[in-house]
Amino acid sequence: MTLQFANVLVFLGVGALFIFVNLLIASLIRPSKYSEEKLIPYECGENPVGSPWIKFNIRFYVFALIFIIFDVEVAFLLPWAVVFKELGWIAFIEGLIFIAILVVGLAYVWAKGDLQWVRPEERYE
Amino acid sequence: MNLGNLDSLTFFYPELILLGGILLVVISDISLKGLRDRVNPLLTLAALLLALFYTLQTDHGSAMTLFEGMLALDNFALFFKAFMLVAGVLVLLGSLHSEELAAVHQGEFHALLLAVTLGMLLMANSAHLVMLYLSLELVSLTSYIMVGYLRSDRLSNEASMKYILFGAVSTGAMLYGFSLLYGMTGSLDLFAIRDALLAQEVVGFNQVTLMLVVVLTTAGFGFKTAAVPFHFWCPDVYTGAPTPVTAFLSVAPKAAGFAILVRFFLGGLSQPAGEQWGFISGIDWPLVLIVVSVLTMSLGNIAALTQNNLKRMLAYSSIAHAGYILMGAVLLTGTGLKAMLVYLFVYLFMNLGAFFVVTVIFNSEKTFELQDYNGMFRRSPFLAVAMSIFLLSLIGIPPFAGFLGKLYIFGAVIDQGLYWFAVVGALNAAVAAFYYMRIMKHMILENDDRPPTPLQISPLNRALLVLLLVPNILLIVFWSPIDRWTANSITLFGGL
Repeated sequence: MTLQFANVLVFLGVGALFIFVNLLIASLIRPSKYSEEKLIPYECGENPVGSPWIKFNIRFYVFALIFIIFDVEVAFLLPWAVVFKELGWIAFIEGLIFIAILVVGLAYVWAKGDLQWVRPEERYE
Repeated sequence: MNLGNLDSLTFFYPELILLGGILLVVISDISLKGLRDRVNPLLTLAALLLALFYTLQTDHGSAMTLFEGMLALDNFALFFKAFMLVAGVLVLLGSLHSEELAAVHQGEFHALLLAVTLGMLLMANSAHLVMLYLSLELVSLTSYIMVGYLRSDRLSNEASMKYILFGAVSTGAMLYGFSLLYGMTGSLDLFAIRDALLAQEVVGFNQVTLMLVVVLTTAGFGFKTAAVPFHFWCPDVYTGAPTPVTAFLSVAPKAAGFAILVRFFLGGLSQPAGEQWGFISGIDWPLVLIVVSVLTMSLGNIAALTQNNLKRMLAYSSIAHAGYILMGAVLLTGTGLKAMLVYLFVYLFMNLGAFFVVTVIFNSEKTFELQDYNGMFRRSPFLAVAMSIFLLSLIGIPPFAGFLGKLYIFGAVIDQGLYWFAVVGALNAAVAAFYYMRIMKHMILENDDRPPTPLQISPLNRALLVLLLVPNILLIVFWSPIDRWTANSITLFGGL
């Protein structure tokens, strides 16, 4: 029994070695020639302007949360769709209830003005 | 009997009503622009009361599980479900005339209150580790938002952040404990786990691992019940949160934490034997919990001694009370469990009452500092007397309900011959008397130079204070229904 878990330990050890040994070998054999271009962070080929340590707009986060609503919806509806024919009408109604609950969430977000990038001020509470 | 998904729905009305309530509150919040501030509290109240009605209507006596073994239906769950719903109603009424919450829009608050109540009902029922974890997370996540509800208040934001960080770590630890248990027994069903442990047919059965499971899962339950050493979030969160939310957190999720603690340890890790339980050899979880209980009440009481902020002091006091309540759970007897339920029941009224007085005083005074309570007796005798009754009840002075709780708890402990444990509890009660009396001293004896202007209390708040005072005064006389009800509520579903 304990031996089964020994596999995990070995796996962990090999995993750690894999990283550090490779880095070590690379640092031994690679030529080290630095230039200005090599030291700037790689940003899709563009020269970065300014510091990356800036505050992100909180709205990105709100949009990510709204995205999660639909993400979860798909995650649950996929297994539902797979067994849909076997379960029949009950499954259909259950699916509708589930979607209706999520629609309420979407309606809430919409009514609160969170679907617009610039949130209308008068709705801000 | 193990009911399937559709058959279970007839026993699931309270939860369905709460779910419908949440959706209705959200819909009314976005569609009824002018009326929503009147409609939402009424909808919430209606949902809670209807759920309470159906909870009491539902037959919890017959042993069965719902949703393919996810939820257990027993009298123990019935007690906690009724408890959560009553706490929800009282907190809702207490939040209506609260100046702190009046400053922000309350539509989401009511939906969150219903959501957290729904989570607690599921917690009281869960008989499966996944269900237990999910319902605990539902309660935690909604509590985080409720704590940080005052968006423009830095303290509230800080409290919410601390709560999230502590919650994430301790539920993580708990999940790790669950995963170890699953690895050893191959099941997530509490009763299947118990049977596997009893038969000693666990894979790699090892005392150290089992003890690790006990400690790790205690971290999760200890976080919810604010037991030492998982209490660090408690004073800051209680101080930063809006007072009605603090009152709610100090009672309902704590009780839900005890419900799952009992269900996990007595239902899952113990050997059932009639009115008693015996612990399975190799898993000495009562020892762990006794240590936690002693630490909890001692640290809570000693730390409360030096507090000058009422909310902080009551936060430490609620930590201490968690220690007393835990005493009942570690005894493995029906009397111990019953004592725990009685204590929780009286704790609901005395603690909500004390926090409610703090809310009312904050409405007009905008302060939680103890010295600002000076001369309260001359300004509002009713409020000062009410607070004194709640505090005397929290100490456990005889004519009030708190005495009943302490009597049952200490009685059950002595019954098991754990005299030193009872002595520790009694010493703690004596220490606690000091800081509760200190509040009374400031309110009644000390006067400041200001002329005593009468304190304004809205009629609703006054009525709610009377409503909270009644059980505190009368329970000591009419204790037999509580005695019968709790005696009936200790039947834990033990598997099929």
